[in-house]
Amino acid sequence: MGRADYDLVVVGGGAAGLNAAFSCRQRFPDKRVLLIDRESEVGYYRTLLPMFMAGNLNEDKLFFWKSGDDENLDTRLGVQVRSLDRAAKCLTLDTGETIGYARLVLACGGYPIVPPVFERAVTPEGVFPVRGLSVAREIKDWLPQRRDIVVLGGGLVGSKTSVFLRLAGFNVTLVEKEAHILPTVLSADTARPLQRHLENMGVQVKTETTIDQFKADADGAVSSVHLATGEWLPCGTFLVGIGSTPDLAFLDGTGLVEDGELVVSPTLQTHDPEIFGVGDAIYIRVAGGDKHNPWTWPQAVNQGKLAGANAFLDSPMPLKRTTRVNAQNIAGVPIMILGGPGVGSSIEARPGPGDGVWREFFMHEGCIVGGALVGDISGAGPLHFTMAGGADVSETTDELLKPRTRAFGALAWTSLGQARRANIISAKGS
Amino acid sequence: MDVIAVHVDRCVGCKTCELACAVERGSEGKTLLSAVREAPQPQARVRVEGAGGVSFAIQCRHCADAPCLDACLTGALARDAESGLVRVNDDRCIGCWTCVMFCPYGVIFPWPERKLALKCDRCMHMESSACVDSCPTQALEIVNVEKLADAYAEKRRSAAMAASGIGIDGAVHLDLGK
Ligand SMILES: Cc1cc2nc3c(=O)[nH]c(=O)nc-3n(C[C@H](O)[C@H](O)[C@H](O)COP(=O)(O)OP(=O)(O)OC[C@H]3O[C@@H](n4cnc5c(N)ncnc54)[C@H](O)[C@@H]3O)c2cc1C
Ligand code: SF4
Ligand code: SF4
Repeated sequence: MGRADYDLVVVGGGAAGLNAAFSCRQRFPDKRVLLIDRESEVGYYRTLLPMFMAGNLNEDKLFFWKSGDDENLDTRLGVQVRSLDRAAKCLTLDTGETIGYARLVLACGGYPIVPPVFERAVTPEGVFPVRGLSVAREIKDWLPQRRDIVVLGGGLVGSKTSVFLRLAGFNVTLVEKEAHILPTVLSADTARPLQRHLENMGVQVKTETTIDQFKADADGAVSSVHLATGEWLPCGTFLVGIGSTPDLAFLDGTGLVEDGELVVSPTLQTHDPEIFGVGDAIYIRVAGGDKHNPWTWPQAVNQGKLAGANAFLDSPMPLKRTTRVNAQNIAGVPIMILGGPGVGSSIEARPGPGDGVWREFFMHEGCIVGGALVGDISGAGPLHFTMAGGADVSETTDELLKPRTRAFGALAWTSLGQARRANIISAKGS
Repeated sequence: MDVIAVHVDRCVGCKTCELACAVERGSEGKTLLSAVREAPQPQARVRVEGAGGVSFAIQCRHCADAPCLDACLTGALARDAESGLVRVNDDRCIGCWTCVMFCPYGVIFPWPERKLALKCDRCMHMESSACVDSCPTQALEIVNVEKLADAYAEKRRSAAMAASGIGIDGAVHLDLGK
């Protein structure tokens, strides 16, 4: 079979991959780009899938791009990349074709980890990973007949999915193996008001447990699942929302994967400078040697844009921000996640006023390194950028933790030089 | 691109602009009298900030490389092709507040009652901007970004010494302070 050659090949058409393709086309208009994805549809907002599954979103709002708009941006959809040959600079697809590249962007995302109990036995019907549109369509069609839902994983995806399904009137139980929901980004204190809110909405939350058995009905569909803590839950639909593990099998033997991880530099290059990695598939090695991956939509977009722009530069640019910042509106309770606690950080927290409001920072040497705002997100934007800029806020910490703070006001007129924030025509005293 | 800018030396912090914006852009009735009785309460897209005796009105700067645009989870935030202004398409916004977190200037405001992110669009579909028209001291003015940048560069050149401590921060850094 013949070999097709492209200037840039992107593996994965999620937020990261598509933005890499767009930004390369914009930056280097004469370059020919190919985007490959194993799904048959790309160009949609993955973040809207929980709403879509629950039947609360029209499909036209799901998409932001359709292939065919740009003659120098080709797509191969519904095909999987099987292997990479770095010496020959080509990829092999499951169709047997080979595709040559000058530059390669790996944007293959991640996938939820289905619990071993379902792998050992024959997986019954009604068990779905929450990740892509094709499965989301199946879930949407399946749900109305099977309204008792168990969601595995109290992380971002699991919590968000539970909320939207509950809002749509389904019976939802959320199962998390740690002691509280959102365990990687929230402290127990911050998670508490949120968890209570979920429960008040009618989502049952089961923590410190997991699924170890299931039963199927006569039709071969899941009918109940058993918790390790000794309880059977009725379950007509089982949704897996844990983890975001990349499938890197096609990179076997390329030397790009260390200990199962695809690690890139701040310029998003692997140790082969012609091969970039972006989005949920990767870790970034940041200053000090730490590995970091935000695994959020804004980061995927940002990294994709940068990799596309870097693809043909002699001196590629580093990523500006690697903050794991994220926001959610959990049925009326806003939460802002500034990032998980780092090693050696202390907690500065301020509860209330009233139930359901909690503001906390993880501090290191006077700087905010993470934290969360629950119930009261005022000042979130300036706070995020203050944190990203590594400013010392030891003098204003109390002020910033106050509910309804205008972080802008509290930060203004400090050494941060906030006066430059407005479009100022004439300053005081000029 | 034309944006709203502020004369800090004229701003007295009276918040008339906030009120005018909330009434004109946020309320059904469009008069103060009816607006105060509306539920959900009308919200402004401009806010008066300040501390230590200095105040100024601040609203979206329509950044050249806008972090909020990359952050939006739904495509609700978009740049208007014609005017270059960044705006929220209410129809697509789900009120997730991700953009709120990504605006360094804190000028996207959550409006929980309507599940909408609220930000200044310079009243682009109106003849003029409500806040600019309402300001009793004429502290707000619509200016051309490029011209303001030029003026700023000129001022910096002529006062290179005075500019110490303030740097160009991003593409639309227009501070004429100092
Ligand atoms: C339900 C859900 C809700 C979310 N909500 C939020 C939220 O509210 N806020 C937030 O910040 N983030 C959220 N996220 C996370 C966010 O969506 C991801 O971080 C982001 O989409 C990652 O983008 P990506 O391009 O790296 O990966 P993906 O979007 O996963 O794209 C990877 C693509 O690569 C393809 N692919 C993989 N391997 C191959 C191969 N070998 N050959 C061909 N194609 C391949 C896959 O089919 C896939 O389309 C959510 C995620 C999910 C699943
Ligand atoms: S909302 Fe904030 S980040 Fe977005 S364009 Fe306006 S000032 Fe810039
Ligand atoms: S609140 Fe609305 S405009 Fe802001 S990120 Fe969410 S959907 Fe986009």
